[in-house]
Amino acid sequence: MVSFIVRRLISGVVVLFVVSSLTFFMLYFSATSVARNILGESATQAQVHLKEIELGLDQPLFSRYVDWLGGALSGNFGVSWFNSQPVVDSIVGRLPTTLSIVLVTIVIAAVLATLFGVAAAVRRGWVDRLLQIVSIGASAIPQFVVAIVLVTVFAIGLQLLPATGYVPLTDSFGGWLASITLPIIALAIGAVASTAQQVRSAVITVLSRDYVRTLRSRGLAPREILFRHVLRGAAPAGLTVLSLQFIGMLGGVVVLEQIFALPGLGFLALQSTTQGDMPVLMGVVVYIVIIVVVVNLLVDLAVGWLNPKARVS
Amino acid sequence: MKFRPRVAAVALLTAAAITLTACSGSGAQPASSNGSAVTGGTLTIGALVDVKSFDPAQAHIGHYVQYYQPVYDSLLRREADGTLVPMLATAWEYNSDNTELTLTLRDDVTFTDGTKLDAEAVKINLDRFRTGNGPDASTLAQVSDVTVADATTVVITLKAQDPALLDYLGNADGFIASPAAVEGGKLATDPVGSGPYTLDKSKTVAASSYTFVKNPDYWDPSLQVYDTIVVKPILDTTAMSNALLSGQLNAALLTAKTQPQAKGAGLTEYNYPTDWQGLLFFDRDGTMVPELADVRVRQAINYAIDKETLLAQVGKGLGTATSQPFGKGTDAFDESLESAYPYDVDKAKELLSEAGVGEFSITMPTVSGFLDPALTAGIGQNLADVGITVNWENVAGSDFISSLVQGKYAASWFSLFQGSPWVAVNQIIAPEATYNPFHTTDAKVETLITAIQTGSAEEQKTAAQEINKYIVEQAWFAPFYRPDQIFFTDKNTTTEPQLQQAVPSIYSYAPAQ
Repeated sequence: MVSFIVRRLISGVVVLFVVSSLTFFMLYFSATSVARNILGESATQAQVHLKEIELGLDQPLFSRYVDWLGGALSGNFGVSWFNSQPVVDSIVGRLPTTLSIVLVTIVIAAVLATLFGVAAAVRRGWVDRLLQIVSIGASAIPQFVVAIVLVTVFAIGLQLLPATGYVPLTDSFGGWLASITLPIIALAIGAVASTAQQVRSAVITVLSRDYVRTLRSRGLAPREILFRHVLRGAAPAGLTVLSLQFIGMLGGVVVLEQIFALPGLGFLALQSTTQGDMPVLMGVVVYIVIIVVVVNLLVDLAVGWLNPKARVS
Repeated sequence: MKFRPRVAAVALLTAAAITLTACSGSGAQPASSNGSAVTGGTLTIGALVDVKSFDPAQAHIGHYVQYYQPVYDSLLRREADGTLVPMLATAWEYNSDNTELTLTLRDDVTFTDGTKLDAEAVKINLDRFRTGNGPDASTLAQVSDVTVADATTVVITLKAQDPALLDYLGNADGFIASPAAVEGGKLATDPVGSGPYTLDKSKTVAASSYTFVKNPDYWDPSLQVYDTIVVKPILDTTAMSNALLSGQLNAALLTAKTQPQAKGAGLTEYNYPTDWQGLLFFDRDGTMVPELADVRVRQAINYAIDKETLLAQVGKGLGTATSQPFGKGTDAFDESLESAYPYDVDKAKELLSEAGVGEFSITMPTVSGFLDPALTAGIGQNLADVGITVNWENVAGSDFISSLVQGKYAASWFSLFQGSPWVAVNQIIAPEATYNPFHTTDAKVETLITAIQTGSAEEQKTAAQEINKYIVEQAWFAPFYRPDQIFFTDKNTTTEPQLQQAVPSIYSYAPAQ
């Protein structure tokens, strides 16, 4: 198990290094007029030139890369070119928003998808068909459409929930919950639908296995078979889908953060991309790769714990 | 097999929904509306930009002033109609040739960290502004020296006259921070001024919500209408409209697209022009597109554009068609130039054949997501009708402005701020103007520019009108229309649009009576 974790960690570090280096070089070739954008249109050419020197844009590419890498290795990602905030502060300030939404959505998706998926697999018949139809419909509706409908109904029409903004959990639990509810619903609908489908087929597969038939023939209670054996066998498939969902949500949340004006990581990524704020963008990329690597590792560990065979292979 | 958990889940969700309903009343608190009390409460405004730095040396005009005005007093204050009134400076006077400006300062102002305001503090701030390479640093390019005459007198010496200097001192250039805080080096995130409010960092979430609370020792309580001002950066225009409609904001700038919903909801609308949109001809000497060197070709393009239709289709009809680049309310404005080039395809074709040009093409930049497809289609169609092909070249949004000012294109559509004549001259007309990348000029323009810069008030006005008339005749640009800024307040709030500014100044808000 230890060597499994060590192998995974090493490959994670390699992925992180490769992705961040590639991103750095790709960004360098596209970043042409960032100094002008920082200073705005009224700035003179001389001002722009001064700014370029200040940002080190006149330095050769490789030495800038070495500077960046050296800083990154010591946890220093520099300061934003646009608002002079340390990159780490910007990201750490925005992580809670994005993680609140994504993590709560994942928990909701896990619970509801298991509920619906198992119900469909066990009951079959009309329950199954209904769930299939609903979930295909639900995963086909784009998140932003759901979000706009939710805002129109619950924020503007009924004025029950805020249309925009984020309240930190540390300020007020109620405010926090209210501020993330609509984005979570918008994000969760698709996630529940597609995860439920996977859970359903995994449960159906396991239910048709020989060992389940054996258990049944030995007279075990159906409930015990389901919860102690079938779910355990079907869980790896569900977990894998959830981890993919999680990674997909880091992308999907960008649109939601824009619609709900949430100060999250996704919107920061979008903003720093359009502005050409390289230090921030590089920081965001590194953090997201770390999150993805960690989530994958955790899922692998969970699958290994549930299914000893996976540890060996 | 029965599934009780499903029932439980439904019950849980219902319970959660009820709880959420109970705790969601945390939007903007309207100021008291009982008729007698007209101060106090909280004003929550949406801003289309996020503050980049609270350091006044990095201050910028327009949308950004909303973040600076609560915490910093400026040297002069611009009333909504543009009139300059005393703020930190009680009096200002030019010498005879307008190259030395003497400012007299208040002697009873203390910064919120306890430091006293004096002439030295003003000098430190002005020097930082012009040398700090902030976005507006170039506006003080004419300043050669700032000197302290005595504790309450500052003298600004200019290399050459600058008719816009006083306006600048009433805007971004004039915000004064505590010299002790300048020394401390943390102004970017911890502003310390002498303004009517202070930033409450405990109630501020960067990029989401900035809370300013009343400065108890402020010298002019009449500028403290509210107890608290909250500024929320909402960069997405749809999100801004949603926040206003759902009662999270008291006031916000909307767009032509989001206007109908707000209007339908009975919010108070304010329309005012600050920009003009149209084609800028950069290559007036014909370096890249030889045809553009002929004034008749530029005039033909002016006639070929169907401004009214573009305004209706792209600007939802919210604005005024025009043929001049100078704005209403400025000295250069000339009512008769509004319709100098009516839509006239025949006239355009006639001018083109007089000029002896056959069919030709112009390459212009476009930015997907920024330039409305209806706009590029409209321009392309209008020009195709007279035999001019437009090749649209897609550029990244972040490269758009720099590609214009670096002279990569012979012409481009653009939206520009309409300032005072001197500001506009330096923006689009002067040989070294930002939007004159090919540095085209002629003797008449230069003479008029000098008159605007150095003449008496009367001469400046005449020269401004003449230069406007001349560049319209010479078709240096092809203005389409001045779109309205579309600002809304809720029923508890009133405000007043600020001349030549995208959003009202914070001093202009008040609870509705």
